[in-house]
Formats: sequence, structure tokens, C-alpha cells
Amino acid sequence: MPRLHLGTWAESTVNWLTHHFSWLFDAISSVVNHMYNGVEWVLGGPSPLLMAGILALVAFWLRGVLAGVLSFAGFALIDSIAQWDQAMQSLSLVVVSAAVAVVLAVPLGIWAARSRSASMLVRPVLDVMQTLPAFVYLIPAIIFFSLGTVPAVIATIVFAMPVGVRMTELGIRQVDAELVEAADAFGTSPLKTLLRVQLPLALPTVMAGVNQVIMLALSMVVIGGMVGAAGLGATVFGAISQVNIGLGFEGGVAVVILAIYLDRVTGALGDQVSPLGRRALARMRASAHGLSFAHYRPRPVVGLSAVVTLALVACGTGVFSGSPSSPTASGGPGHGQAVHIGDFDWDESVASANLWQQVLSDRGYKATVNTYDPGAAYTGLASGSLDYVTDTWLPTTHAAYIKQYGKNFTDLGSWYGHTSLEIAVPSYVKDVHSMADLKGRAGEFGGRIVGIEPGAGEMKLLQSKVLPGYGLDKEYQLVASSTAGMLAELKRDYAAEKPVAVVLWSPHWAYSTYQLTKLTDPKGLWGASDSIHTEANRSSAARLPHVTSWMRKFHMTEAQLGSLEAAIQAAGQGHVTQGVKAWLAKNPGVENAMAPVVAGSGSGPGSGKN
Amino acid sequence: MTKLAAEHVFKIFGRRPKEGVRRLQEGADRDRLREDGTTAAVIDASFTVQEGEIFVIMGLSGSGKSTLLRMLNGLLEPTSGRVLFDGQDLTALSAKALRDMRSRKISMVFQHFALFPHRSVLENAAYGLEVQGVPRAEREKRAAEALDLVGLDGWGPHWPDELSGGMQQRVGLARALATDADLLLMDESFSALDPLIRRDMQDQLLDLQQRLRKTIVFITHDLNEAMRLGDRIAVMRDGRIVQIGAAADILSHPADDYVAGFVQDVDRSRVLTAASIMERPRVIVSTDDQPDAVVRALRTDKASAAFVVSPAPALRLVGTVTEAQAAAAADGEGTVGELMRAATVTAQPDAPLADLLAPASRSDLPLPVVDGDGRLAGVVPQLRLLAALGDRPTPADRADRSDGSDTAGRADQSIREEAASA
Ligand SMILES: Nc1ncnc2c1ncn2[C@@H]1O[C@H](COP(=O)(O)OP(=O)(O)O)[C@@H](O)[C@H]1O
Ligand SMILES: [Mg+2]
Repeated sequence: MPRLHLGTWAESTVNWLTHHFSWLFDAISSVVNHMYNGVEWVLGGPSPLLMAGILALVAFWLRGVLAGVLSFAGFALIDSIAQWDQAMQSLSLVVVSAAVAVVLAVPLGIWAARSRSASMLVRPVLDVMQTLPAFVYLIPAIIFFSLGTVPAVIATIVFAMPVGVRMTELGIRQVDAELVEAADAFGTSPLKTLLRVQLPLALPTVMAGVNQVIMLALSMVVIGGMVGAAGLGATVFGAISQVNIGLGFEGGVAVVILAIYLDRVTGALGDQVSPLGRRALARMRASAHGLSFAHYRPRPVVGLSAVVTLALVACGTGVFSGSPSSPTASGGPGHGQAVHIGDFDWDESVASANLWQQVLSDRGYKATVNTYDPGAAYTGLASGSLDYVTDTWLPTTHAAYIKQYGKNFTDLGSWYGHTSLEIAVPSYVKDVHSMADLKGRAGEFGGRIVGIEPGAGEMKLLQSKVLPGYGLDKEYQLVASSTAGMLAELKRDYAAEKPVAVVLWSPHWAYSTYQLTKLTDPKGLWGASDSIHTEANRSSAARLPHVTSWMRKFHMTEAQLGSLEAAIQAAGQGHVTQGVKAWLAKNPGVENAMAPVVAGSGSGPGSGKN
Repeated sequence: MTKLAAEHVFKIFGRRPKEGVRRLQEGADRDRLREDGTTAAVIDASFTVQEGEIFVIMGLSGSGKSTLLRMLNGLLEPTSGRVLFDGQDLTALSAKALRDMRSRKISMVFQHFALFPHRSVLENAAYGLEVQGVPRAEREKRAAEALDLVGLDGWGPHWPDELSGGMQQRVGLARALATDADLLLMDESFSALDPLIRRDMQDQLLDLQQRLRKTIVFITHDLNEAMRLGDRIAVMRDGRIVQIGAAADILSHPADDYVAGFVQDVDRSRVLTAASIMERPRVIVSTDDQPDAVVRALRTDKASAAFVVSPAPALRLVGTVTEAQAAAAADGEGTVGELMRAATVTAQPDAPLADLLAPASRSDLPLPVVDGDGRLAGVVPQLRLLAALGDRPTPADRADRSDGSDTAGRADQSIREEAASA
């Protein structure tokens, strides 16, 4: 079979689009950003309890007392597990994506319902949108819209819209043909038939579709976290990659509360807006004459005015944060300049990026760190939405990214020299110190080596070179999973003191958490070790000369990095900054060594910059 | 006056409909077309409907009734042929003009009522007016009047699904009447109702029609319903109209075996009327005739009695005289008027046969049928009545009649033959 270069074509199409339609993507990007910021300002502005009250009132209005009380309890719980801001960010993302999806889906659904050929045209497109793995279009989405909320919103729309189109089409097609004919027989025009007969009767189904759109949008929140959208997704994504069960659970609970709330409220809204639903409700209420308190619902006017009043109170008491928080410039050259650092969910990456974030903040910069998938981070670095990525393994691990985007990067040199790839086993496994020692002991290890992501370079190297080199490829099966999965497996077996062999690398916090043996590589099949480089966006490197020069000189020893990672672990999840601060306090010289302040001038090196 | 006319109307569903018409006109048969995936739903239908008439289209399911009806208001466009409404060719109208025509002049009542479930009864009844753009207050007033007309006063605020089937269809009727359309199209409108309620609705429709004088095209697959409602009936079979005529006409003279089979099970005693089976009296005499002339006439015609009418020009039926009575007075003076027996038992021409049995049994003489002016229209001999009730008509009847022979005589004869063979 001839090899079709479909992928190459797709790639050149993406490049062509980026080249010719950047104005369009920028426009879309700016519109979506404004929508998101607006919604986020409204939802995240008021104090959590007040907002919880408003949301609870909405539930009370639409569903009754019990729903209102439970909603309030749910949102209070979110606040008390410190997920409030993230929850509101996610809610905003869902609101914006779902609103755009519905606005697009309903007319499309109507079109498909009215024309057989439109339906045939739309259906396969919807199938593709729904089944294409989100990651496939996430990368182009990042290229088009850069990292952050926008690609998350776009991906969510792509994923959630099809069900809206389908349900609208279904709802309209379901309307009794005799009713449509009756409208026609009395001379109704097609447009009025749609508005007076088809849509009102399809409304329950359309609203069920809207409900589904919202739920699917919420289910995309975690994926949004991988491309840098703030919110519960980032929490959950971060927790997964660090095998932090507690934080993952908290993020998960918050997602579930949001999901239940949105589901019930939009479900009730569906009953409220359709005439048939209103009738069914009225009849139910009439039959339940005992009118218990739990079933009391305020009339729409009362409910709405209560919500509005509370919202006004929120404005009046100034709980909407009006002024942007000004950075605490402590006499550095930063002058509040923004620096965006990207990290991956790797420990030395988190540690180095957050260390820099702390140091740069102390020097007066407005430095932020966000966590991405490596592919997303380098795409962002190339496009300039990130300024620095501190964790680039060269010459091997991340070489592919440098090859692709290197012309947009400035390499700031290596800050850590002794990385290595290896297989590790717990120290309680006796007499296994080198790769060669694994031979003949497959029974002990269950015949398997626990791996990480199948695409990882280390996995490929192991499979193709290292295992065959030591004659282990017949004996052991290399099980691909994910970094998080591998670490979870290690944690489990370690607790049970079971022999286990895992694919690992140094530096890694696992070495400071567990007693592990790095298996030596007498044949040198793993190849030369990588060192860790800092990469800068080319124009950022020029725009931020101090930061760039400081980073060029940056260096860490294994002991320093190990203790920093341990300090971050000790501070607990969600408290990386505290961990970094504690470590800096214990290592007083480091900050000045990293970003020397010229005595007296109160400025950094090159303070005479124009 | 002709309100509606269909002229050689065809409707073909499927691929290349026009070619289907051509092939049908060249004599190809419907089943051949169906093999090619083309459905000839209506084939060469022509008829006229008079103003104020109830015109029934009857046929089995799938015979093309609904398709034909939907071409009468332009919901479907004929593949070929024309539909004239008030002389206006519907097929020549633009879509908008056609919609306008439907909203003002033609309304429709559906088999399953087709009430809008999200509108109250009043809003349903007002729907047609709403489409016309009549202001709310006026359309609600007129809709309420229409509901009164069908006996649903006070039901306006209710929802359709709170009403029984019969009441829902009355709402459907009110919706159709509210627009003051001249033409009502009713597609199996009573078929979904229970028999008793169906009968009520038929009565109500006839009652309304007495008052309103609409032009109605009514579709049914139920022959009894067709006979009860229809001034004229068109029988459809496999897309073609096979016979058009009044109820009694179709009953006694079916066009073919198909129609004959169809009418077999109908309750003839209620459908056939005195007028449809009466025959000419053999001997009619005047009150001032002489008895001996009566005796001569009776002997010539081999009749046992003569009917006596008042002198011209009135010619009202006044009595009967038998041969024995006339012969007894033949040599004396006096006239027939003095010796006849007064006619007390008579029937109206539109009386159903069921109502003739009792009066006919009270006398040996044929039952006289008199019209509204008291004139003798015909007579129904007992044997003829019994024969008509038990009759199984064959298409041959029609042929016989067309060459002018006496059907009553034939009926008598067939009874005699049956008696002999028993
Ligand atoms: N829209 C359509 N497309 C194709 N065939 C149709 C359509 N409407 C009706 N027919 C066919 O035309 C024939 C007559 O149908 P119809 O007029 O509904 O009969 P009836 O009302 O007497 O039961 C049937 O064979 C039916 O299948
Ligand atoms: Mg039909």
C-alpha cells in the first residue's frame, strides 16, 4: 500500500490557516475571552457565600425549598474545600461554551430538521465532532488560539454542540405530522409553523438537548485544564499527575456538585419554558393538594426579584473586586511586567518554575506559572503566550519539540546536569542492582515492568534497545499506562512490600519518598544522559533582558533540587508557593544568587536599560 | 352552482411522476407502475361538487382518498390535471396566494383531530383566525361562537386533552367553522370515534349543514356513513373513481363487482327510500270517472285495484277502489268518488324502507307514496319492498335498467324464482 501523507497535509493545512487567518482567530479569541471574563467577573466577583445564596435562590425558584437548601449546602461545601474560585472559573467556562454551543446548535438542528439533505450533510460532521478525541483538535486549537481559556472553550463547543443539534432536529421531527399539516391546511406560513407549532412542541426535547450540552461541557472541564484553562480541571489534572488522591477527590467532589446543580436546574428550566411542561407542573401541583412546605416554589416574579435583589446587594457592598490586585513590587527591575512560565506535571518542572515565579515576584515582576501537557507548553512557548519553559530535557527527551519550534526559541542553557533514565525497584527487593540482575526473576515481578505513557521516548528506548540488550524482552512485558498510573502502582506495591519494577527517571521525588534502587546500566544502553535546559520565547528573551540573563546563569545541584521538591511535597498539595518560600528561607543565599540585586541602586544588573 | 371541480386529476408519488401519467394514459396498469417504485395514488379523477352539497368520497384504505382531498386545497399539487375552486384554478396560484385561499376559504377537519396540545380549546378554535391576522378580541369572540355552534359553550379555557374524543373533534369542527370558510374538507373525521358518538357527530353535522349550507367534501371508508351523509357519493378503488351517484343509485345499481361487494353489507332498510324502489301505479282513475270504465281498465291491466286522484290539475291522491267495488256499482249511476275507500295509509318519498314495513302490512294494496303536495308519486307493492330489502344487486341490474326494462317486474320475478327453487 502506498503511504498516504494525510498527517502532513493536515499539518500544512493548519500552518496555512495560521498564516492566512490569524486575524480571524485573533478576533474569535478576543470575543471568547471577553465573554469568559465577563461571566467570570459576575460569578467569581461576589463573596462565595453570597454567590452560593444567589445560586441557591435560582434552584429554589425553579425547583423548590429542598433544592434551594441542598444547593446552598453544596456550594458551601465547595467553598470550604477551597475550590470556590476554581469552581466559578469552571462554571464560567461551562456557561460560555454551552451558550455558544446552544446558539449554534439550535438553528443548525432546525435546518437539519427541515431539509433532508441538510440533515445528511450535518450528520457525519457531528459524528466526527463527537468522536474525534479531544487531543486531536486541542493542539491545532492551541496553535490558532494560544494557550488558556479559548482553546478549552473551543474544544468544549466542538464536543458539546452535536448533541444540541441532534436533539433539536429530533424534537422537531417528532412533532406529529398531522399537526404540521393542520397548520399548513389553515394557511400558516412555514416560518410561523416553525414558531407557533413545531418549536413549542419540540421544546421539551430541545431543552433536554440543552441540558446534555451543559453536562458534556462540564465533562470537558478536566481536559480544559490540560491546555491551561483555569478551574477545577486544572485542580484535577494537577492532582492526577501528582497522584494526589486527596486533592483529586476534592476537585472531583466540586465537579460533581456543579454537575448535579446544573443538571437539576436546567432540567427544571426545561419544564418552565415549554408550555406543555408548565401544564404538567400545574397539574401535578393541583393534584398534590396538601401543598407541603417542601414543595413550595415562589412565583417567577418573586423568585426573579429575589435573585436580582441579592445580586444588587452584592454590588452595593462592593464585593465585586473592582480594582485589579497590584503586584507587591519590592524594589526590583520588574515594574509589574508580566512573565508567563509554563511547567509540566513533572516535579523538577514544578519546582524550578515555581522557584522562579517566587524569585521574580520578589523582584517586582508579575510572574505566573501554569501547568500544561508538554506539547501544549511548547506550542504556547512558540506562539509567545508563554515566555519561559524551565524544564527542557536535551539532547534527547524533548528534542522533537526543539526541532519543530526551535527557531522561535532562545536556549538559555542547562541548569541541571545529571538526569538519567532507568528502571527502579524498591530497596526491599534483594540482590537486584543492575539491569542484568532482572534476568530469570520475572516470576517475582509478575512478568511485567510498569511503564508510563506509551508515546514517551523512554518507553520506546526501553522496548527497542534496553530490554532486548539485556535479553529481557521475552521474559518481561512492558506495560504501558501513564506516569500517574505508574506512580499509583508503585505506591500500592510499596505499601504491600511486593516486588515491582517501574520505569523511572532522575531527578524524581519518588526517590526521596520511597527507598528505591536505580538499576545500573553496565552496557550503557540508555545512552548519554540529558541535561535540563531553560527555553525562552525568542522575543520574550529580548523583552525581558534581566530575567533572561538571570536564567542563563541559573544552576541547581541534585541536593538543592531534591530538598526543594521535598519542601514542596511537605507543604502539601495546592501550597506549592509556601513550600518554595520555606525552602528559600532555609537557603538564604539562593535568591540573590539567582537574581542578584545591585546594592544601593535597588535595581538588578543592567539597570541602565532603556 | 358548481363550487369545486376536479378535471382529470392525477397524483403520482415516486420517480418521474410525469412519465407515470403518460404511461397510465397509454393504458399501463397501476401495478406495473408500482413494480417500478412509482405509486399512482390518484388516477384521472374528475367530478364536480355543487354549492351546499355534501360530497362523499368513499373507498378502502390506500385507495387514494386522502391524496385526492389534499389536492382540493393545494396541500398537494396534482401531477397532472386541474382543480377549480369558484372557477379559480388552484394549480395556477402562487404558494402565498394558495395559503391565503386556505386560510380564508377552505378549511379542514382531520381524522385524529390534530388539535394543538399547547393551546387551549378556545385558542385552537381561534387558530385559523389568528393566521388570518384577526385581532385577539374579535377572533376570541368568533371562536367562542363557533364553539357554541358545536355545543361546546364554556369549554374554551380547557385543554384539548381534558376532552373526550367526540368533544375534541367538535373543537376540530369549530376550528374549521370559525373562519367562515365556504368549503369544508373532512378526512375520515369521524372514523376514530366510537360508533354511538360517531352517529351523534353525523347527526350534528347534518343539523349544522341544514343551518349553514356549507359545501362539504367528506371522506370515509364506512359505507353506512357515506350513505347517511352524502348527497352524492364517489366510490374510489385503487386510485380511480369507479362510480359517482346518490346513495340509493349506488346501492341498487353498482357500477361493477367491486362496488357491489362493497355495498353488500350495508343496512339497506335505512339507506334505501320509498322513492328509490317505488313503481308507477298500474291504474289511476279520477274521482269523476264512471265505475264501468274503471272495471275495464283494471281488467286490461290485470290489476286488482285502482288509485283515485282528484281531477286535474290538482291530481291529489284521495282513495282507492277495488275491481269488486267497481263491478258492484258498474250498472248504476254515480262516480268513483262516491264508492271509493279513502286513502289513509301513505308514505313520504324520502321515508327509509324500514319505516314502510308497518304501513305496508296494514293493507293488501300497494303502499301509495305521496309527495309534499299530496300528489301520488308512486306505489310500493309489498313484494317489491321485501325484494328490495333482501336484494343482492349485481352490476347486471344497471345494464337491464339502461335498456329500459321494468326493474320492479324483475324483482318480483326473482322472488318467485327463489320460491320455486326452495
Ligand atoms: N407522500 C407520499 N409518498 C408516497 N406515497 C404516498 C404518499 N402519500 C400517499 N401515498 C400512497 O398513495 C396511496 C394512497 O394513499 P392515501 O391517499 O393516503 O389513501 P387513503 O386515504 O385512501 O387511505 C397509498 O398507496 C399510499 O401509500
Ligand atoms: Mg386516508
